[in-house]
Amino acid sequence: MSNKASRKRTAAPPQPPPAKQPLMSQEEEFMDEDVFIDQSLVLEDEESIILRDIEQRQALAARLSKWMRPPLSADYVAQSRSVIFQQLEIDYVIGESHRELLPNLSGAAAIIRIFGVTKEGHSVCCNVHGFEPYFYVCCPPGMGPDDISHFHQTLEGRMREANRNNNVGKFVRRIEMVQKRSIMHYQQSDSQPFLKIVVALPTMVASCRGILDRGIQLDGLGMKSFLTYESNVLFALRFMIDCNIVGGNWIEIPAGKYKKTMKNLSYCQLEFDCLYSELISHAPEGEYSKMAPFRILSFDIECAGRKGHFPDPSHDPVIQIANLVTLQGEDQPIIRNVMTLESCSPIVGVDVMSFDTEREVLLAWREFIREVDPDIIIGYNICKFDLPYLIERAANLKIAEFPILGRIRNSRVRVKDTTFSSRQYGTRESKEVTVEGRVQFDLLQVMQRDYKLSSYSLNSVSAHFLSEQKEDVHHSIISDLQNGTAETRRRLAVYCLKDAYLPQRLLDKLMFIYNYVEMARVTGVPISFLLSRGQSIKANVLSQLLRKARQKNMVIPNVKQAGSEQGTFEGATVLEARAGFYEKPIATLDFASLYPSIMMAYNLCYCTLVTPEDVQKLNIPPESVNRTPSGETFVKSNLQKGILPEILEELLTARKRAKADLKEAKDPLERAVLDGRQLALKISANSVYGFTGATIGQLPCLEISSSVTSYGRQMIEHTKKLVEDKFTTLNGYEHNAEVIYGDTDSVMVQFGVSAVDQAMNLGREAAEYISGTFTKPIKLEFEKVYYPYLLISKKRYAGLFWTKPDNFDKMDTKGIETVRRDNCLLVKNLVNDCLHKILIDRDIPGAVQYVKNAISDLLMNRMDLSLLVITKGLTKTGDDYEVKAAHVELAERMRKRDAATAPNVGDRVPYVIIKAAKGAKAYEKSEDPIYVLENNIPIDPQYYLENQISKPILRIFEPILKNASRELLHGSHTRSISISTPSNSGILKFAKKQLTCIGCKAVLGKGYHTVCSHCKGREAELYCKTVSQVSELEVLFGRLWTQCQECQGSLHQDVLCTSRDCPIFYRRKKAQKDMAEAKSQLDRFCDIWFIAEFYLEDHRNRGRNVLFGNPDRTF
Amino acid sequence: MGMERVQCTYDSLDETFEIREEMYQGQQYSHIYFTRLRLMRTLLYSLVPHWKPNFPVCTVLGLEESKECVIVGTLYKHMKLKPCILDEYSKQKSVVPLVQPRNFVHSDDYLVLEDESGRVKLNGNIIPPSEYVTGIVVALLGKESGAGDFLVQDVLDAGLPPQIEFPLKSGEDKYVVLVSGLSVGSSSSNPLQFQLLVDHITGHLGDEKEQSIASQIVRLIFAGNLVEIPQRLLNGQNLASKDLARISEPIRELDILLSQIAAGLPLDIMPGPSDPANFSLPQQSLHRCLFPGSSMYNTFRSCTNPHCFELDNVRFLGTSGQNVDDLDKYSDAKDKLEFMERTLRWRHLAPTAPNTLGCFPYTKRDPFFIESCPHVYFVGNQDKFETRVIKGSEGQLVRLVCVPKFSETGVAVMLNIRDLECHALSFGTQFSS
Repeated sequence: MSNKASRKRTAAPPQPPPAKQPLMSQEEEFMDEDVFIDQSLVLEDEESIILRDIEQRQALAARLSKWMRPPLSADYVAQSRSVIFQQLEIDYVIGESHRELLPNLSGAAAIIRIFGVTKEGHSVCCNVHGFEPYFYVCCPPGMGPDDISHFHQTLEGRMREANRNNNVGKFVRRIEMVQKRSIMHYQQSDSQPFLKIVVALPTMVASCRGILDRGIQLDGLGMKSFLTYESNVLFALRFMIDCNIVGGNWIEIPAGKYKKTMKNLSYCQLEFDCLYSELISHAPEGEYSKMAPFRILSFDIECAGRKGHFPDPSHDPVIQIANLVTLQGEDQPIIRNVMTLESCSPIVGVDVMSFDTEREVLLAWREFIREVDPDIIIGYNICKFDLPYLIERAANLKIAEFPILGRIRNSRVRVKDTTFSSRQYGTRESKEVTVEGRVQFDLLQVMQRDYKLSSYSLNSVSAHFLSEQKEDVHHSIISDLQNGTAETRRRLAVYCLKDAYLPQRLLDKLMFIYNYVEMARVTGVPISFLLSRGQSIKANVLSQLLRKARQKNMVIPNVKQAGSEQGTFEGATVLEARAGFYEKPIATLDFASLYPSIMMAYNLCYCTLVTPEDVQKLNIPPESVNRTPSGETFVKSNLQKGILPEILEELLTARKRAKADLKEAKDPLERAVLDGRQLALKISANSVYGFTGATIGQLPCLEISSSVTSYGRQMIEHTKKLVEDKFTTLNGYEHNAEVIYGDTDSVMVQFGVSAVDQAMNLGREAAEYISGTFTKPIKLEFEKVYYPYLLISKKRYAGLFWTKPDNFDKMDTKGIETVRRDNCLLVKNLVNDCLHKILIDRDIPGAVQYVKNAISDLLMNRMDLSLLVITKGLTKTGDDYEVKAAHVELAERMRKRDAATAPNVGDRVPYVIIKAAKGAKAYEKSEDPIYVLENNIPIDPQYYLENQISKPILRIFEPILKNASRELLHGSHTRSISISTPSNSGILKFAKKQLTCIGCKAVLGKGYHTVCSHCKGREAELYCKTVSQVSELEVLFGRLWTQCQECQGSLHQDVLCTSRDCPIFYRRKKAQKDMAEAKSQLDRFCDIWFIAEFYLEDHRNRGRNVLFGNPDRTF
Repeated sequence: MGMERVQCTYDSLDETFEIREEMYQGQQYSHIYFTRLRLMRTLLYSLVPHWKPNFPVCTVLGLEESKECVIVGTLYKHMKLKPCILDEYSKQKSVVPLVQPRNFVHSDDYLVLEDESGRVKLNGNIIPPSEYVTGIVVALLGKESGAGDFLVQDVLDAGLPPQIEFPLKSGEDKYVVLVSGLSVGSSSSNPLQFQLLVDHITGHLGDEKEQSIASQIVRLIFAGNLVEIPQRLLNGQNLASKDLARISEPIRELDILLSQIAAGLPLDIMPGPSDPANFSLPQQSLHRCLFPGSSMYNTFRSCTNPHCFELDNVRFLGTSGQNVDDLDKYSDAKDKLEFMERTLRWRHLAPTAPNTLGCFPYTKRDPFFIESCPHVYFVGNQDKFETRVIKGSEGQLVRLVCVPKFSETGVAVMLNIRDLECHALSFGTQFSS
């Protein structure tokens, strides 16, 4: 896609970071019961059409067959060997119960499907039978076996009423009495009776839960409502938990325990049925920690949009699809191809396939998917743009057979409209495409979730991670390239291929496959949960909790959503920051994994919490409980070991082991796995606390989370006190230590010494001393020294970061927002350069001068325009905005100028603030930077000074400088102002251009072209200045334009790129324009040259026939 | 008694380097590569039948896996260390200031061959990336490997261009003096040293024998960097009038020196990187208004850089050094003369332009293409004097000369156009303190 990132944004509203996400539909989605997956199967005659189609394209098929997976060996064919494979995707369908495997059952049943790959690279579809959906309720006291059977009948009756349309023999298969205990609260008894309710189909869990929630009339007990347990667990996850399967692990089905399916329903090479009890799940260790050779398809499409419109599948054709297939673990793709509409010149190393109709392009792609059989489909914004577009386009072209892209034969890909609501972003509609058996990994979504960047365009993401600028072809050009020749279409294809290649490179560079598979293994959920479910953190803590509870014979209640009325609790404290510029080393004492440590140290868990009533009632000896600073009571581990502390211990021990193994490991692939694992373990451990505190989460328990933070606060204050009491001159230390700041899990101490190594020694001593006073495993560590340290306020500081006494490691900044999108680049540069000067060069006067120069440059109109560009996303059209916004107004104005190049909804709109008439509203002062460049429109320096620069700069300088504002923003450097004269403003159109003297700007009289008579003697000097300007511009011109050639990867073709994200885009434009102007200025000197020529003629003879030597002298 | 200075004919061939009609009109650099490729390809295609008669000639597009063939295209060298202007904008300032290496060659560099149809990565040790640079057009024999790379088996460059016949020996010694890097106004400039040179060539120094040699000097060529104007003064925004005057001070001083020479013998001045001229190649001649005194003499010629002329039908081609200095940054050779030799064999005076060497964005021609082989090829502003004669396959003979910076070495070069013999002329000023 052209202009990919920006344009695709319409369809892809940036997801808010999971932690802050307020509830709404995403939340519901996870909460929601399993949905019956209706397979939209294609009718038989349609299939024969497809078959005919295939025949017609034998040639293509031959090409495609090259890309097939390796053929099965004889023992696989004979089913004489165990099948061992790494699973990637687990879902279920409703089908007929398997007669051979389950002779006693009949009717509809849920069949689990596991998709995966063997180590030889064969694709596997394993249909698992016999696993039944169930949940628990607490057994009312006094209920005997007869009562249960009665209860069963009543429930069955209610279920039949509620699901009239459902034609199932039996809804509730059975109810068993089991001994379990609830995870909630400390209980003295080990267990109590629970009823395990087994239902026929997964969807019935929810319906059954609803009935029990509302209450059910029971003989002898009256109307009774039940609290259900574990009734909100997705069926696939339930299966995984009960079978000890974690996301992305290896599964073995021994020979003889599986049966080949009668009729293959999938395109997988190995497809078979088995019983769930026959599965062997291998823990991801040793040989089984490796990755199977997954096939990863990275693709990108191009559409020919109409001028001025965002591509719409009901109008605009798909013209190219570029594909790259890479085997997991290899660094070069095995397949590179591009499918184009109309001819396209060949590309080296790429299989170019051209077709005459769009229908053929789409069908070729479908065939390709089927033959290549990718396990993972990646791309940039494929989930919200490319895939839905292809499917809708095919629907518009009435190609019914197109959307069979999944692994299930004849099953069409389903497009689901989803709405996504959040307080931050409002409600948006988007599409979700389900491709059965293949994992979709959309790099855009992953980037938005995992990284905080100022822009998520493919261009800026590649620039950020791969240090590569991507050529960006404006979408208005795409149609022109398509309508050109085979050569121009080739150009487009190369561009399209690059867009398909970059996601793969990002995937490799950022180790996403390793990290996500490891995350799935650690948390136990399928990879697709981590990718598509908004609340991945909650999902995976819950999964771990369920697994652990199962081991302990505990069950987890399905607590009603309490909403947010539970109130908030006091968050983490920060000690007051003593703002200032510290020129002595500041030692930082850090708590290592503070919150997990607190939970372990004080045994904080659901099952160790004693309710206030129980505190009175249970009579627990005081030495066996901890009272937390927030007033809660938890029993110590001798009475009941908490589940959360146990999970945390395991995670942290596993992390330690992974890190130790990582040190040993030599093989890069093994290292990647281990590194991914330790990272996943860390994230997991840190998310447990958040899980207990999420008031609208799965199982909130504010008693735990508020206790954790209250302990945290206590610890920080305790540390401050100990440090300031111990490290004093009274105790024989050189100086009195001072705590200047404390954050959630760290304390900054100024020991008063001036050498880094001294501060390090004292830091180490303090960490050890204070750690001794804490309950294990809470530990204070000394890691780093800041020197010098600029403390601005809470959560805002900057300093040089030292871990060894000889050299600093880096410059560390926090909370000094230099990456905010609505800041112009100037702010970012200014802040960075100032910090650099202050901290590294230790040159405060230099930094001050630097700011003054920059401000003066701004006021004198010497600032590079690209530094002043502000960018905002256009999310809807002007009418929908309640308040007029600068970028929206500008988009409207640009549309009136030229609809073809004006930004569309979803694009980012870059603008600068220009000088406008007095009293103009802020939103009226925005203008397109290109338009500004071309017409010499003056920018508004005051706006930039007041609204952009002043705050961040003052923030930095206030701790350093007295009267920072007066000195920096109002000094003498702000007195001279220069404003360019616009070339298009009204009055100037009537003005006659007159030549002015290059030296003094006086209007030149007749006969003078360059300088006035007054400046005549200064020609040489003026020429030098003018030519040096030309020369500077030439340097710039050359470097900028050759850089763009470099990016586009071609010397012989013109640069088309219009990426406004590129830092040199405006410079390049400006250089081109300035160059022409400076050159014409210089040419004015040439005019005298010709005059001089005439004038010279007379004098020429003076030098003719010059004799050797000076004629006046004789030898 | 006076001695008459030896005369000789002079023809300027600078026209090709003059920018008159061409303008900046939004054109980009693709045209110059395109033109260069067209010119060079025609030439190479005419050589291929002799070089590899039995192989088909393909375009990059037409490559087929493991089919041996000849392809012609522009080389592009991918360089890891090459400075990138984007870094200046987008990257965080690095904590430790980077020291720019003198040479950007790295063992990971690789070559790519490009024509209008596409690019292919080159492989094999026949074509070492460290010797080649971006912008050269060559013919390659090889085959495409499975991975889409082209395995090079042999390389053909265009070779020395045809040469006009060297004039018959007249028996008369005629000397041309080559000087570069006077750098008047710089800290290293030594006015006395230069005055010695002036006095020597104008015949004001030495005995009769020396004078008679001096009388055989027919021309003086200044190969760039005549003055050095403090950059600070040119960039400064609001200059005091005192500073303004200081800009032209070194030029005025130079004008006086040049007038002394011009009064005695013909001289050519070429602009160099530090002169008040434009930056991009070809640098246009220094403006006459800078030299109100010396330009009054018809012996005074302000020329372009590169500069091409004939003296008594001996062809000279030279630059002020930028072309070779740039090759030195982006490739390796045993000495500067080897770089010079390569440019002749590649038939291109400045292959790295526009990629790393600034040049005008030509649309219809490539003035740096060397059509005819010079007899004397010089580059100015080098660290030391070096010279060698190379021979072409068709009997071409070329005298290569590296002209050292005068301000730093006190060395000028004397070249006899009778036999192309050449030696250093060294001036020293040492005072015992």
